[in-house]
Formats: sequence, structure tokens, C-alpha cells
Amino acid sequence: MSTQVHATLTAEQVEQISADLDEPEWLLETRLEAFEALDSLAMPDVIRTPGRRWTNLDALDYETLVDPLEYAQDKDRIDAEGVDVLSWTEALDEHGDLIEEHFGSVVDPQRDYLTALSTALFSAGTVVYVPEGVDAEDVKIRTTMNSRSLFNYTLVVAEDSSSVTILERQQTGDSDVDGERYYSGVVEAVTGENAYVQYGTLQNLSEESYNYQVKRGHANTYSTVNWIEGNIGSRLTKTSVETRLLGDSSESQIVGAFFGHNDQHFDIGSRVWHEAEHTVADLVTRGVLDDEARSVYEGVQDVGTEAWDTSSYQRENTLMLSDESEADASPKLIINNHDTEASHSATVGQVDEEDMFYMTSRGVNPEAAKNMLVEGFFVPVLDEVEVDELREDLDDLIVQRLTQ
Amino acid sequence: MSSDQDHLKETDTEKRFEFKKEEKSAFEAEKGLTEETIRVISEDKDEPQWMLDRRLRALEQYHEMPMPDDWPGAPDLSAVDVDEIVPYIRPDIETRGGVDDWNDLPEEIRDTFDKLGIPEAEKNALSGVGAQYESEIVYQNMQERWEEKGVIFCDMDKAVQEHEEIVKEYFMTKAVPPSDNKFAALHGAIWSGGSFVYVPEDTTVDMPVQAYFRMNSDGMGQFEHTLIIAEENSEVHYIEGCSAPKYSEFNLHSGGVEVFVKENAHVQYSTVQNWSKNTYNLNTKRAICEADGTMEWVSGSMGSKATMLYPSTVLKGPGATDNHITIAFAGEGQDIDTGAKVYHNAPETKSTIESKSISKDGGRTNYRGLVHIADGAEDSSTSVECDALMFDNDSTSDTMPYMEIQESKVDVAHEATVGKIGDEDVFYLQSRGLDDDDAKQMIVAGFIEPITEELPIEYAVELNRLIELEMEGSLG
Repeated sequence: MSTQVHATLTAEQVEQISADLDEPEWLLETRLEAFEALDSLAMPDVIRTPGRRWTNLDALDYETLVDPLEYAQDKDRIDAEGVDVLSWTEALDEHGDLIEEHFGSVVDPQRDYLTALSTALFSAGTVVYVPEGVDAEDVKIRTTMNSRSLFNYTLVVAEDSSSVTILERQQTGDSDVDGERYYSGVVEAVTGENAYVQYGTLQNLSEESYNYQVKRGHANTYSTVNWIEGNIGSRLTKTSVETRLLGDSSESQIVGAFFGHNDQHFDIGSRVWHEAEHTVADLVTRGVLDDEARSVYEGVQDVGTEAWDTSSYQRENTLMLSDESEADASPKLIINNHDTEASHSATVGQVDEEDMFYMTSRGVNPEAAKNMLVEGFFVPVLDEVEVDELREDLDDLIVQRLTQ
Repeated sequence: MSSDQDHLKETDTEKRFEFKKEEKSAFEAEKGLTEETIRVISEDKDEPQWMLDRRLRALEQYHEMPMPDDWPGAPDLSAVDVDEIVPYIRPDIETRGGVDDWNDLPEEIRDTFDKLGIPEAEKNALSGVGAQYESEIVYQNMQERWEEKGVIFCDMDKAVQEHEEIVKEYFMTKAVPPSDNKFAALHGAIWSGGSFVYVPEDTTVDMPVQAYFRMNSDGMGQFEHTLIIAEENSEVHYIEGCSAPKYSEFNLHSGGVEVFVKENAHVQYSTVQNWSKNTYNLNTKRAICEADGTMEWVSGSMGSKATMLYPSTVLKGPGATDNHITIAFAGEGQDIDTGAKVYHNAPETKSTIESKSISKDGGRTNYRGLVHIADGAEDSSTSVECDALMFDNDSTSDTMPYMEIQESKVDVAHEATVGKIGDEDVFYLQSRGLDDDDAKQMIVAGFIEPITEELPIEYAVELNRLIELEMEGSLG
């Protein structure tokens, strides 16, 4: 039986964190409500195949992993012209009303146990505010976790006709912390009409880290919310990337890449709700598994009754390099409007023998040939990444892993 | 007499007509499924003790197991009240005559038969004792021809008496144990009727074995059990005939199908289901396929209020192959949750799943599938293709496949598409002189062709006609 953190967590600790960030009363109350709700909330839904649950979030020892008042991080925030990229303290000071309006409007603070825990305890994080009409490129956030646990909360508000690309790197730093760690990240993105948000994440936490993330965006009329989800690090990752297409002609693309080795476990969800007319979604994920790594992927395209003229596409491909690895895929289509063109596909396979033969027959040694093919496998996903730096970083991490 | 006994009589060929009146007078409703009921069924069938023991064990398991209601998007089974089940399956005394007399059939069903035009034999069979006799002859002729080869084809109740050792070995022990799910357990407790097919080694049954007529003579087998054993190097195609004779006022159907494909054997199981629109159709069908064996499932699901049916194949021996071809059609008020499961448990196994669905007038279809590739099943390959066609915006079409891959040397592909009926296609056909209805029917006929071409011609024609009838309402 696992222990859950709310057994030892106190309201005073939550109040302490809130005071550290110099928060207004409403935010403290939201935290305390989330804290109170912990007792009654269930763990996040994990992907289940009939009769099996693949990710056991209950098994983690949260009481040991979570140290509410000990949080340490390095944060680099590089902002772009016209956009505010702020710490929570700064943001609450400068844009208090804006935050009050949007905080928790996209990700329900009490959607499940781990999200509520994040809401109650977050100390790190960033607010990105893009005023109307501003085009902001290359906002960069680098989070280095230096404590046992870290709760990160990011709010993005892109007003009408604004655009922004955000690149977030998550890593664990050298510190005195030994052993297992817990990282929790919540990202919510709000868009005005005709706004464009691209949010890319490169997760490279230490392989003793447990990682829980939920990212969700609401796309307004003519708006686009795009996600890039790169998962390289962590011992266990449970991540859910979601877009609700609420405005007519809104769009979303979710691009995922993961590379698991050793005994890494990735539970990756992509989810899109088509709730308005003429919406477009494209979900693309590619993953490689080596050693005893396992992946569970679930992608859902949900087309509502009012979603006339929907286009929705999903592809998931997994490459298995080792016989001890395991991959599960479940691409789901839920269609309630017939004026829809939708498709999904998934494949699992290994490095193509003919390709290997072709390359080795041209003098490439088998190891190098395999590496080139694996690197090539990610190309269709990397091609979808518009931010050069993110693409290059991801590619570098893939190459690094291959040559380890 | 309890309701269960009544159900029992219903499935007992010999006594059905003879004792009808007595049953009617002795009729007494009793709710719930009890041990006593099971004992009565078993005693009346003069079953050996081991079968009674299995029934009672299954009953225990049935009471222990949960309803399959926690699956994402699963059909609503709340109307299937466990305590009411037996009264529900018990034929109403007024309508049970329907199976004996054509004129007593519900009008909707009669109408369908009239429109179908085929198969005439079935209509005749339903219209009275004489036709029943006629169908017996057909059945008998087939049997003689096969008997010379050692093929056994009889009803399941008879098989328990005459082929006890084989039945004892295979019946709900290996493929579909009662512990599989709640309705498999229910089936294990109160099963009755069904088909038994045994094909000896090196024997090819070169024409389809049809349970079509025999199902009539068996009456309303709402819990029928089908057991097919194909020994090494044998081949057989079993068709569970048009299920229209199973049209009834019953609310629950929970059948069981077990297929054993031995080394290098080949079994095709085809069925076209067209249950009445108030039936909950909760079946368990499973095949176990040995080395180099081939299992083929061809099924059309048309009727029922709610269907939960996922025929599955365990590819147990190297080189075993499984093919699934399914079509589901959901009209108004229908929730057809169906798909396929394949377990690749040996190297070099292959499977293909081709699923087509059509939804209209608020119907829901869902493809729910599982492909499991076990560690060690190297060089296995699977391909899953789902296509859904939607007629209108009241309808729903979902696709929920699962792939569990524990082996790297594999080739797994899943694809699904959903679309509405193409306006351009309809326009094209209209511009060549077809009216709107005909154009749409032609498009649907083309859409389901991969299924129909796998069926013997009379079933293919029937399937097409059934779909045309389903479409008539909204297209007229």
C-alpha cells in the first residue's frame, strides 16, 4: 500500500508557499481548496486495456518523494520583444487581474489527485502574457530541478491576433539530492481570437525522476494551439497533452517524440476535442524503445455533434530496438458528427532488415547503420517542429542516447 | 413449473410441440437464477453429473463477477437486470407460438422476411411443423454424406449424450471458461442447444456446414453453445445461418462459441446476426489455433439493441493465422460494440482484421479491438483496418483499438478512417440516372463488398438485402 502525501501535508505548509510567493488571497484559497480536495480525489486516469492498468501511479511513495517546502530550481527565462515572461511573484504583481481571470480556467485544479497536489504546492513556474497583436518568437524557459520535488505551473495567455512560440526545457541539476525525485508540471494555454501558440517541451529529467505533466489549451476562433512533447528522461512519465477546439476554424497539432531505454516507462496521452465548425487537428507521435523500456500511448480524437466539417488525423509509430521492450498503442476515434473526415493509424515494428542490409552492403557498420535508421525514424516528427532550436536539441538528445 | 423449465422445453426439439399446452398451463413465473433452476435444466436434459457440476460452478462464478460496465464507452447494460434475467429470457406464452406459426410472428419480423424473399426455406421452417420436417431432411442428408468421413454434426445437447468424452474435454475448459466474463459464466450455467462439429484428421468438408435449418428445429436457442473441433489437416466452413429465426421477444442472448483449430487445420466461422431490436446480445466467441492452422471469422452484426461481441483467436502454435472480417450496422436506438481480439502467442503468427461499420438514424457503432503480441512471438505480423461510414449527424461511430506489443521483431499496423457518405459519389451516380436512394445503396454495397465476397452467395445476397431494408426508412 502506498502512502499519499496528503497524510503528512498541512494547510500551514500550503499557506507558507503562498506567502513566499506573496500571493493574493484568491490564489491561496484556490490552493487550500485543492489541498482539501486531495482526500477525495482519485489518481489521474491511466491508459487501460481491457483488464489491465499499465501505469500504477498508486505505487509511488509520494510521502517520501514530496517535500513541500523544500523547493529549489534554476530558472532561465528569455523573453521576446513585446511579451511578458514572468515569475509568479512578478506576474501576480503586474497582471493580477489577468491571472485571476484565467488561472484554472483550462486545467481544472481539482481534475485529479496529482493535479490538485500541483495546484496546492506549486512554487515554480512562469506566466507568459502576449498582448493583443504582438508576435513573439522564441520565448525560452529552462527549468533545472535542484530539490527532491518540484511543482511547476505555467500559464500562457495569448490575446487576440497575437502569436508566440515557447520552448521549455526540463532537467535535473547537480545537487545534493540522492535517489528518486518527483516533478510535476501543469501548463494551461488561453487564446484569444486568431491567436497562435506553439508550446514545445523537452523533458530530460534524471532517470530517477517520476514525472507527471498535464498540458491543455483552449483554442478560440481562428486560433491555433500547437504542442510539441519530447520525452527523453525520467524513470516514469505520465503526460497528457490536450486541446479543446472551441472556436470555429481553430486548429491544433500535437507532435510527440519519445526515446526510452533501460527501464523507463512512458504513459503518453494526446487528446483533441472538436467542438466547433471547420476545425482541424493533427496528432503525430513517434517513439523508440530500447532495453526494457515500455510505452503506453493513447490518442483520442473526439468529434462533437456540433463539429461540422471536421478534419482530424492521427499517426503513431513505435520502433522497438530490444526484445525486452514493450509498446502499447490505442488510437481512439469518437465521432458524433458525420460531416467529418477522420483517420488514425498506428504501427509497431523494428528496424527494417532491408534498410539495414542496404546500408551495411554499402560499407556502413551495423551499429552506425542502426543509429542512422533510428535517427531517420524521427525525421517525420522533427520536420513538424517549427522551432529550430527545439528540433536541434531533440535531435542532439536522440543522437546522444544512440551513442551512449 | 419454473420459468426455466419453460425455457428448457423451448429448446427441446422433441417435446416442443407435444408439451406446449401443458407448459402453458403449468407456467409459473419465478425471478432470479437459482441452483434449483440449473438442476432442473440438467435433469431434464438427462445430463451426466460432470455437466451439472460445471453448470453449478459457472453459476457461482456468475454471481461473483461484475458487469462489464466500466469500459470506456461501453453500451448501457443497466436494463439488463441480473435478477430479472430469467423471466426476461423466458418466452412469453403468447409470442412463443411465434416460432411455430408464421402468423404469430411479430409483424416487423414477418415483414422483413417477406421483403427478403429469401431464404424461402427458413420462412417455411418458421411457418409450421411441416417445414420443420423438411428442414430435418436437409439436415439428415448432409449428415449422411459426412458421416462416412467420420464427421460429426449434431446439436450440442445430443453431443453431451453421444460424444461425452470429447465434449467433456473441450466444453468450456480451454477456450471460453466461465471465468472469462460475467456473461460467459451465465452461459455456462444455463446454456442449451447449439451446434457440435467434429472433423477428423485429414478430412476436408468441402461445403459449408450450416446450422441454419437445425437452429430452427432447435427452436429459440438464446444460450446456444457451439463447439467446433477441427483435427489436424482438416478443413471446415461453419455457417451459423441467418439468425432471423432467432427473432424473438427475448431480451437477452448470451451464446458461447468455442473453436479448436488443430495443426494445419482450417476453420471458417461465418455468421450474419439480425436480432430483434430489443435484444441484448452479449456473446463470447473464441478460437484456439495450433501450429500452421488458420481461423477465419466472418460476421455481420445487424440487429439487437446493444451488442458486445469481440470474437477472439489465440494463435498458439507457430505459423498460425487468423483473419477477421466484420461488418456492423447500427440504426435507430442501436449500440453495436463489436470488434476482434487476437493473441499472438507463438512465432510467425499472422492476423488481419478488416472491420466495416455503418451508422445511421442515431445508431452507434464502435470497433473495440485488442491485438496482443506476446514476448517470444517473433516475426509475427498483424494488420487492422477499420472503416466507418456515417449517414447523418444523429449517429455516432467510435474506434477503440488496443495494441499490446511485447516483442520487437514484429510488424504491427492499425488504420482507421471515418467519413460521411460522399456527396460527390452520390452526385456522380445520380448524374448517370440513379435516384438518390439507389445511389446510396450502391455506395454502401460497394463499401461492404469485402465482407459479402467472403460469404456464400445466398448469405451475401441476404446481407445486402438486410442492409437495404435498414436503409429504406430514412432514404425513402
